[in-house]
Amino acid sequence: MKSIITNILEVEKREIDRMSSRGLYIIVVLILPVLSILFFSSLLKEGVPTKMPIAIVDLDNTVTSRKIARAIDVTPLSKVTEFLQSETEAMSELRTGNIYGFVVLPENLQTDILESHQPVISYYYQNGFLIAGGLMQNDLTLILNTLSTGINIQKREAMGQPENYIMTQVQPVQLSTHQLFNPTASYPAYITTIILPIMLQLFILLITVYCIGIEIKERTSHEWLHLSDKSIIIALTGKLLPYTVIFFSVMMFQNFMLYKVMQIPNHTSLSWIMLGSLMFVLAYQAIGVFCVGLLPMMRHSLNMAAFYGILALSLCGFSFPVEAMPPVFRYWASGFPVRHYMHIFQSQILAGFELKYSIPSYICLLIFLLLPVIIIQRLKSALIYQTFIENVHKT
Amino acid sequence: MENNNRNLFVQIREGLYSLPRIWMREFQLIFSDWGVMILIFAVPIIYPMLYSFIYYPEVVRDMPVAVVDLSHSADSRLFIRNIDATPDLKVTANSVSMEEAISMFRNRQVRGIIQIPETFSSGIALHRQTTISTYADMEFFLYYKAMLAGTSFVVLETGNQIQIKNLMNDGLTEMQAEVTARPVKFVDNAMANQAGGFASYGIPAALILIIQQTMIIAIGILAGTTRERHVFGTLVPLDRKRMGAFRLVVGKSGAYFTIYALLSVYMLGMIPEWFGYGQSAGLVELIALIAPFILSSIFLGLTLSVIFKNRESAMMIYLFTSIPLLFLSGIIWPLSNFSTIWSIVRDIFPSSNAIFGYIKMNSLGASIFETRKEILTLWIQTGTYFLTACITYGFQVNFSEHLRGKIASLPIKAIRKRMTTEM
Repeated sequence: MKSIITNILEVEKREIDRMSSRGLYIIVVLILPVLSILFFSSLLKEGVPTKMPIAIVDLDNTVTSRKIARAIDVTPLSKVTEFLQSETEAMSELRTGNIYGFVVLPENLQTDILESHQPVISYYYQNGFLIAGGLMQNDLTLILNTLSTGINIQKREAMGQPENYIMTQVQPVQLSTHQLFNPTASYPAYITTIILPIMLQLFILLITVYCIGIEIKERTSHEWLHLSDKSIIIALTGKLLPYTVIFFSVMMFQNFMLYKVMQIPNHTSLSWIMLGSLMFVLAYQAIGVFCVGLLPMMRHSLNMAAFYGILALSLCGFSFPVEAMPPVFRYWASGFPVRHYMHIFQSQILAGFELKYSIPSYICLLIFLLLPVIIIQRLKSALIYQTFIENVHKT
Repeated sequence: MENNNRNLFVQIREGLYSLPRIWMREFQLIFSDWGVMILIFAVPIIYPMLYSFIYYPEVVRDMPVAVVDLSHSADSRLFIRNIDATPDLKVTANSVSMEEAISMFRNRQVRGIIQIPETFSSGIALHRQTTISTYADMEFFLYYKAMLAGTSFVVLETGNQIQIKNLMNDGLTEMQAEVTARPVKFVDNAMANQAGGFASYGIPAALILIIQQTMIIAIGILAGTTRERHVFGTLVPLDRKRMGAFRLVVGKSGAYFTIYALLSVYMLGMIPEWFGYGQSAGLVELIALIAPFILSSIFLGLTLSVIFKNRESAMMIYLFTSIPLLFLSGIIWPLSNFSTIWSIVRDIFPSSNAIFGYIKMNSLGASIFETRKEILTLWIQTGTYFLTACITYGFQVNFSEHLRGKIASLPIKAIRKRMTTEM
């Protein structure tokens, strides 16, 4: 037992020496992950987009139309940056990207309202950008409906209806929307919380493949195995442990940024967050070992890890729900630890559901740890016989 | 003076001779390297298809919701039927208790809850305001959007009908009642992506990003590999003949440009057509935008490639940038909400302006003039990165020449010794 521990420690010491000998390690393990945490927490810091530029095409130019324009301007979401003369002009501005939407107030708007001719107000918005488009649509529909209700009320007052009666009449059915588990409706809670683990998994996968693959490529694997008493388990444990520690710390820094600095709701204890983070790191290290064991030539295993890792962005289903994808991708999606981590985040951390709803996700994360078992013998023979080395002609 | 001119003339002639050689040499390097081949052919060909299939349903349709009907009336049943009839929502659990609904929600069987109050029907009859409560899933933006769109539509319509009915009971004609209830009509015009489809939104950006990323990574990989293969770790071979930096940059770029110009026909022409993404842009517009984009990406890639001493480094350093670059393009977070720092960082990368310009052209039909800002920025990037590529390659050429001169003066034994230690 004692010798196992000393062996692991020796391999670990060797690995730390190797890490400090090349700048690449420190860049990929520490600098880039921390930079991306800072990038995402700073980019979306406002929570909800504000003051998006919008134009008004006022063809009426009356008190009423100007009142509507002002009402649109004062909403927090949009800011009227331009008053334009024609719809064509506004459409060109929209195409140029200077505005996210515009409202056309037609000629005779005021007269038509007064004479009960039911004028038509058209609004246009750039729906090519999902978040901006959705917000624009909500915002404009809401303001214009409020304005329309206001006119309705004024008319009824003119008809002599009592005030409290009017309210029940103009809006017989009300909608009260309760936002479950994300009361702020802020985007960082949707986006940053999932994007950061997706970024981190790329780094974990790549560096795991690299630190093992480089031993084969540079023919140092004998030395490595020798130090670990020819046990592949000891060799891998000793080698990967320093990375586990570093990535776990990075992930805890990330959690600190999310739940303490950005104030994203957190309904669970620190120890559960630590457990989830640790299992996330381990699961991806296991996948990294699997890649390099399957394809011991590093150029191929690195490609494989990269192609797999980058797909997590789509297949973990945080942007487009997995349930809405064609069935085959629903199974494929379970092959990404980040998806299970996302479930843990959503039900245990954000919503505070009982443990029984997130236990299956923890079990799935554990299953990934079995992956290296499949290829461990193949990896060992690759380390011993060094058969997967490309022949390079130096010139 | 005349001599100088003559030298320049000779240099240009030599350059023109060696240019095709460098070009072909780069082709040979690319086509003999499986890792790079997969990266610049398999990825651009397969990933757009894969993404298109993943997002094939485009929108969230028939999201499962539970209805807690406390009213149990004809009115509430009609309301539920209307909810079910919206494209966004599907009532999968009807007339359950709130506890039951919440437990279904926790099991992810339903993605939202709608509660109809006990007083719903009597409220309508007695002209009292009633309130429908919805509980929306805030875990997914698209689920929240579907819930909001479906319920607010039905609530507005129901309210409107009740109002009109009441007004008619008060003695107004149907026409008068309609105008009173709705003094102004609205027309909602979603531009670019009318249906709000997810594939139509995300894939154009992904296409542009794939072009830039695979190219820059491939250039970096090849540069790293070259250095590994050269005995003294130089990027430019220690040839007897001096190669000018200018012809190296142009020759190499020629190879990448041809490959990516062909790939663009497939990625930006065929993929949008097969999967029905917006394709309002004409060929001329696309070329005006994509040509400077490919060129600036190549030159940026060449400039940065000199830092890589090993084959693997490029993938390790570049891969992660794909996700931040997607955010920097401005299709996720509105550009009007970018801080100055991120707006500046955004302008470093060709993909930002190319994605924005491509979406404008392709889904809104923007003209070259309306895309002038993006096109101009891409040309500025092309010029800048061409210069930096020439400068960095110039350094490499000089370094190789310097090294060759130093080694050539050594006795043969010393050269052998150095070669073995370097290897």
